[in-house]
Amino acid sequence: MCDGGCKGGARGRPNMAPVYPKAASYPEYAQLVNRENAQVDRRLFVDEAIYQAELQQIFARSWLFLAHESQIPSPGDFIRTSMGEDDVIVVRQRDGSVKAFLNSCPHRGNRVCMVDAGTKARGFICNYHGWSFGIDGGLRGTDGKVYEKDQAFEKAQIGLTPVAQIDSYKGLIFGTFDPAAPSLLDFFGPFTFYLDIMLDNDEGGTEFIGGAIKSEIDCNWKFPAENFVGDILHAFWTHQSGAQAILGAGVDLGKRYDELAFQASVYGHGIETNLDKVGNTRTLGYPELVDYVYDLSEKASARLGDLRARAIGAISSCTVFPNFSFLPGQNTFRVWHPRGPGKIELVVWTLVNKNAPEHIKEAYRKGVMMTFSPGGVFEMDDGENWEYSTRVNQGFVTRQQPLHYALGLESTDLERELPGHIHKGSMNDANQRLFYTRWAEFMEHDNWTDLQNGDTAPPQKSVKAAE
Amino acid sequence: MLDFLDISKPFDRLDNPVTLEIERAIIRWVHAEARLLDAERYQEWLDGFIDPEIHYWMPDMETRRRDDPRGTFKYGESAYFDDNWRELEIRVKRYNEPSAWADNPATRHVHLISNIEVNATDDPALFAVCSAFTNVRNRNEADQDIIHGRREDVLRAVDGGYRLLRRRVLIVQNVLLSKNLNTFF
Amino acid sequence: MMIELCDSADIGEGEIIRVDVPGCPAIAIARHEGALYVFPDRCPHADESLSEGWLEDGRVVCGVHFAEFELGSGAVHNPPVGCPNLSFFKCEDRDGKVFATLTGGPEHV
Repeated sequence: MCDGGCKGGARGRPNMAPVYPKAASYPEYAQLVNRENAQVDRRLFVDEAIYQAELQQIFARSWLFLAHESQIPSPGDFIRTSMGEDDVIVVRQRDGSVKAFLNSCPHRGNRVCMVDAGTKARGFICNYHGWSFGIDGGLRGTDGKVYEKDQAFEKAQIGLTPVAQIDSYKGLIFGTFDPAAPSLLDFFGPFTFYLDIMLDNDEGGTEFIGGAIKSEIDCNWKFPAENFVGDILHAFWTHQSGAQAILGAGVDLGKRYDELAFQASVYGHGIETNLDKVGNTRTLGYPELVDYVYDLSEKASARLGDLRARAIGAISSCTVFPNFSFLPGQNTFRVWHPRGPGKIELVVWTLVNKNAPEHIKEAYRKGVMMTFSPGGVFEMDDGENWEYSTRVNQGFVTRQQPLHYALGLESTDLERELPGHIHKGSMNDANQRLFYTRWAEFMEHDNWTDLQNGDTAPPQKSVKAAE
Repeated sequence: MLDFLDISKPFDRLDNPVTLEIERAIIRWVHAEARLLDAERYQEWLDGFIDPEIHYWMPDMETRRRDDPRGTFKYGESAYFDDNWRELEIRVKRYNEPSAWADNPATRHVHLISNIEVNATDDPALFAVCSAFTNVRNRNEADQDIIHGRREDVLRAVDGGYRLLRRRVLIVQNVLLSKNLNTFF
Repeated sequence: MMIELCDSADIGEGEIIRVDVPGCPAIAIARHEGALYVFPDRCPHADESLSEGWLEDGRVVCGVHFAEFELGSGAVHNPPVGCPNLSFFKCEDRDGKVFATLTGGPEHV
């Protein structure tokens, strides 16, 4: 019973220090990826408990894409995005650095930022009780002259929970909620070799065209992520109609497919490419872009070497584990935000070289809209595939049947001196197998030492020959 | 006059009524267009209703503060449609392919058009037409997508009929609550 | 009666500093385009410290709810509900020292 000294039920003062979740170990989920037989259990795509484990093991630990530097150039510029299902504000600081915070007031939890983006914000004020946070996330004050008169109120301790680590790589800003995560560069490993195909093919760097297309698809987030990590195979069937509409012909593999095409994978990140120079760019439907990429490719061979210069516009696709994907040559960059086991929010941007002429940037803007946006002639046909690949697994018997990921079991390429696990031919399930192997590593391991030294870790070899 | 054709700007001066005869003809045109789109007769739509100089724009919506100078949408940034005639034709070509899987089996469409206001402009051949719409798509067993929005059209009087010269489509959704847009608005 | 607050060299261009005067509520001093402005270090909206805010385009901006007050007139812009104008103390720079009249409260100067 309260004797007047019980502080209205409290025994002490609140500890408002950030709480970062601890990882666990779920070997029973890791076993659902059957690496012996190249099969994946369908429960990965519908099971709520597995989904919650993904939020804990994968999305609360991985470096996740937040923004392009060009979206927030000046102090106070911000965008709102997600890390997993966590709502996050990404803000340019007065010293030019970038910080990110959970978009949730520590008082009653309401969002403090309701908009998608803004410029030169002075801070974020919660609509509920007027708690006000600086762009550095610290609590500046409260409304109503009430807390200031409360002797026990300790303002200095209170702020928006910061994303534990922020870093950027060649214009792309990433963050992780795990203070123990290795650096962004270590998380990529030698996969940066392939990221540079798009991020460093021109001396001026890159930028995003303004705006973002957001849409919902009722699918598990892993289907689009694995699609971009290495499923060019689907293009010939799924996207036949789009290719006919734009090119008047089906998707072309390139003349030297057997000799050049490959898949590369590092820590579950993966790229597949045919090295055919402009196969992807051609499908945007604007001949000036093809000319631009041919010229760019020639110039870029000095920066990137001949192999990567051939990849700038080639038939290709890429996913950075877990849920950030892009298409070289078509310049669409996207995040598949999980929204439950059976739903995603897809956010799509267009990347261009800063030094590209204005008419080229405009052609990319329209080209991506015509192909890889919800009304685009390619993306139009993706969504239904992923929705039904997900939804059918509601069937109890259906989800007992494992899925087949066994294309290219004998395709390991030990000869090409390229970073990562290399497999011959882009039409191959190799990258998808390694994507799910990485998924299993995250489920199994509660520490980064094991995570960075498993089967998806890059084999040790020289990359000099490829440079 | 030019303001009516500048797609980055909303219509203003919508206080120029037309004759009853013209108004009836344009309302008939609007309903006939919707009927054609319901039936997926896209090639006829392109050939019979769309002006060769068409500018067809549907921006994506961003949530911004009221005092944000950028506003909810901005011409020149990302959009669902920002098409000329050739670009509309590419979309129609895809629909005409037997392997357009998201349209095979067929989607069932209804375009409900209302709130139609027909206005004269400074150019006697051009008419500024506002309308609101409900776009319903249903396919397979239970996949349903409903999109509401407004349109600001400029119609050009040609050969005793009308052609769509400019269309600005503003939907109310921020995150598109659909997997795709296999329709026109 | 004017009393001495601090050295005028303590206040850089575009800065707001806080000065504690015994027996008085905290005072804020700002410098904009060379001129000095003295005012209570308390936002008239919710008592937040204005010296923790900043100057922007000739206005004091409260760092908590972002009310803006014109230096000189004190006229409020972007006010939270119920926020009145800011008032200033008469002040002058005498031989490198800032003096202000704090008795009788601030006024519109």
